[in-house]
Amino acid sequence: MTIFPENVSTYGQDIDNLFWLILVFASIAFVISLFVLLYPLIKYSSKKVKRAEYITGEKRKHFKWITIALLLLLGSDFVILYVEHDTWGTIESVPAKADVHVGIIARQWNWIFVYPGPDGVLGTSDDVYVDEMNSSLHVPVNENIVFELRSQDVIHSFFLANARLKQDALPGRTVMRWFNITKPGKYDISCTQICGILHSKMRNYVLAETLEQYKQFTDSLYNANKPAVSINK
Amino acid sequence: METKQHHLTIPVIKIPQGRLAMWVLIAGELVIFGGLICFYLLNRIRYPHWGEMAAHTNTFIGALNTVVLLLSSYTIVRAHQAAIKLNAAKARLWMTCTLLGGVMFLVDKSIEYAHEISEGFTFTSPKLVAAGDHVGSLFWSYYYIMTGLHGAHVLAGMTAIFIVMMQIRKGNNLHRVELVGMYWHMVDLIWIFLFPLLYIAK
Amino acid sequence: MENIHHKQSFWSKYIFSTDHKTIGTQYMIMGMIMAGVGGYLAYVFRYNLAFPGKSIPFYGMLGPQAYNAFVTIHGMIMVFWVGMPVLLSAFGNYLIPLMIGSDDMAFPTVNMLSFWIFAVSALVLLASFFVPGGAFGGGWTMYPPFSAQGYVNLNPNFFQALFSGTSLLILAVALELVAMLMGGINFLVTTINKRAKGMTAWRIPIIIWFINIAAVIFMFSVGPLVAGAFMLLFDNILGTGFYDPHRGGDPMLWEHLFWFFGHPEVYVLLLPSLGVLAEILPVFSRKPLFAYKTIIYLALASAFLSVLVWAHHQFVAGIDPRMATFFSIGTILISIPFAGIFLAFMATLWGGSIRMKVPMLWAIGFIGLFLVGGLTGLFLGSNTFDIYAHDTYFVVAHFHYTLFPDIFFGFFAAFYYWFPKFSGKELNASLGKLHFWLTFIFFNGVFFLLFFNGLAGQHRRINDYSSFSLISKEPYQTFEQIATVCAIGLMLTQFIFLYNFISSLRKTKKAVKNPWEATTLEWVADSPPPHGNFNPYPEVYRGAYDYSLPDVEDDFTPQNIPKV
Repeated sequence: MTIFPENVSTYGQDIDNLFWLILVFASIAFVISLFVLLYPLIKYSSKKVKRAEYITGEKRKHFKWITIALLLLLGSDFVILYVEHDTWGTIESVPAKADVHVGIIARQWNWIFVYPGPDGVLGTSDDVYVDEMNSSLHVPVNENIVFELRSQDVIHSFFLANARLKQDALPGRTVMRWFNITKPGKYDISCTQICGILHSKMRNYVLAETLEQYKQFTDSLYNANKPAVSINK
Repeated sequence: METKQHHLTIPVIKIPQGRLAMWVLIAGELVIFGGLICFYLLNRIRYPHWGEMAAHTNTFIGALNTVVLLLSSYTIVRAHQAAIKLNAAKARLWMTCTLLGGVMFLVDKSIEYAHEISEGFTFTSPKLVAAGDHVGSLFWSYYYIMTGLHGAHVLAGMTAIFIVMMQIRKGNNLHRVELVGMYWHMVDLIWIFLFPLLYIAK
Repeated sequence: MENIHHKQSFWSKYIFSTDHKTIGTQYMIMGMIMAGVGGYLAYVFRYNLAFPGKSIPFYGMLGPQAYNAFVTIHGMIMVFWVGMPVLLSAFGNYLIPLMIGSDDMAFPTVNMLSFWIFAVSALVLLASFFVPGGAFGGGWTMYPPFSAQGYVNLNPNFFQALFSGTSLLILAVALELVAMLMGGINFLVTTINKRAKGMTAWRIPIIIWFINIAAVIFMFSVGPLVAGAFMLLFDNILGTGFYDPHRGGDPMLWEHLFWFFGHPEVYVLLLPSLGVLAEILPVFSRKPLFAYKTIIYLALASAFLSVLVWAHHQFVAGIDPRMATFFSIGTILISIPFAGIFLAFMATLWGGSIRMKVPMLWAIGFIGLFLVGGLTGLFLGSNTFDIYAHDTYFVVAHFHYTLFPDIFFGFFAAFYYWFPKFSGKELNASLGKLHFWLTFIFFNGVFFLLFFNGLAGQHRRINDYSSFSLISKEPYQTFEQIATVCAIGLMLTQFIFLYNFISSLRKTKKAVKNPWEATTLEWVADSPPPHGNFNPYPEVYRGAYDYSLPDVEDDFTPQNIPKV
């Protein structure tokens, strides 16, 4: 059993590594705390110790242990914050080199994919909207896929576990995010914001394929969809 | 009815119970209205169009109501002064003046609402929505919820003043005059914030 | 100075009582009943998760709408109708006057009203199951536009919209908040004004401090939510557009003001239980509470920080990434003052003379489990890792590892501790130990494995995972089944407690006045305390934790014993 599903994105490994880093800190803290909690129950049991010591904790020599522990915790906090910062910036901002633009529109209860058409630009009249149940978003591997995320009705959330990417889709706003898949395959898209009775059935995929396969797909898609589909928001 | 233990306890902060409770209540109310005012402000900054909508509020009536509330706060202070001197009759007289101020406020408000409603500016403003002015209709939603909630508090304050007026008839419970006075000042204070936001900033 | 005992009818003594002890008991019983309802809802959806598509014993077939409604109302009930009434109202009402040496709350009638408003709120909530459309099924977070669609869906019948699951839920929550606000005013004024002679601020027991800090946090943070809830209600029943982006509104506004309250709310729930720990640990260690003043300062610091971290619930919601960084920093740093409080609690044990009685078992269990909950919060406080973990079962496991110990272990610790005082009888200790160990084991059985399900990518609030390849394979389905079996075990275990509770009340043997040999004032009163509590009223000469004083033979010196 692996802890995480397979990571196929460029920044996914950073997220996994962050998890392990926090786990190291948390585990150390947990083991030490359990010792501090449970050991006195044995060592100072009333069967062994008849009279407790009168310690109020106001004295420095007693309190210093807590100060040390808190400083260690503060230190690990700063390490976590430092490590996370870079990856956060990477994921939350669109890279300069954007290879492919797509649109992803959430609705009750399906994911709509918008391909930019032969001109490669989203928002023009040759965009193709694909709104089929359980459809796949075709993307080429090893390319920066920048997407515009929208919602037609309520709040949904786009979760691509194998890329370690999640982003809420709010009606009334467009959020731009990106991913870069390194291995061809079919990866689950889940909706991670409860959106109604068929929330469990919102089930689509990202299909990462070679550039040739991707071009084949878009060519046939664009050919099948001339003249242009009217843009409906 | 309950055991009066006041003589056995020494409040460290020498504020009598009723007053302390009223301060806490006022603090809670201010956070509620404060929240509403913040949401309004955020939207106001976002939508310059709201300035045009605000032009349709009646500044004259708004200003009149401000003066009315300020005067009624003055009269309730006089009522409190009378209560301190244990003059229940005089306190009731001043409290009646405050109630009259409240009535005038609500009457002015009704006239104002009636006018705005006749122009199509309602809580949901369907006419604006039909014309495509969604953002404008949102202004009116905020206008009505803010002034409406405030108006409900004016009514609640008037009710409380009336009840206390009845309770002090025989000269008892005079300390309650101050408590309703504090509540009334809070209602006035909230209006002081609403007035410029809704009526002056156009 | 005598009490004035007046004759009370059945109605004024038991139903519309203004006595804080009766009101505290009423809140506790109501909370326990609602816990049963919330637990039943969890049983139904957990059974569905373990055995999808099967008919559920004592329910039937669970459809997706009902599933969504059940997970929603389960969460709502546990926070607002179990956690708040038990930890804040029951503990606060019962303990504040007794522990500060007073006869009752400052405003007994308001107190009584607050309970009945609370009771009505529970009825409104339960009624929401039985209206057309059923209870609301959009998560306890009630995000619009999904939660604001009442008008759109039932347009334009005002009464249909008003009596819909969504509107009733909003009304129920609003009433509950009003009841809690009334209680909060009472707590603060009573604690400030009605203390016994000699009880200065630094002699007030920690639980009283903490309940009051919780009340202040609550009252401050709930204001915008009250305003926002009105707005959501009007969106539903009148068709306003406060949260409708097509009308210029913004769904994100609701997220902010919900979490502006929602995050401090978890500390409102936590502080009273921490207070329970602060009372129990010294008694059963025969040692003063470690660093009493520092604990209070840390709690105040936490309270202040708690209103600055709310958007860690919104890291992936589309907020400005720079804002998210700010909230991530705050969230990770808030671990420091809370860690300080827990370390001080644990330091109380070192050098003590530990008596492992039943209340102590619950207290130690609380801390151990809460450690898991708190440390897993570090993962979620990191905005980067939260991208992956948000809305997965990792979050579910995290908040159950914090809230369950907080609400249930905290409640049971307090119950086993104060039962002799509030009833005059003793609980059976062997049954208490059995209750503890089974609860502890079953609780871990339910939630520990769910961390792994979450890390595997299992997202929340889904009634049927069969079409998600990552989850519907082994071992995750087995983990679900283990979790469900343990959940059933967990619920059945509570009958041991109920049996112990009721049968102990019927015993004839009376408990001694101060069976745990504690120092705080409530142990000076009779068991159970009469109307008016004390006769005569005690005077306070010392702090609350004078255990094992060096020059005193007894290993505890109650607060009302003068210094020589």
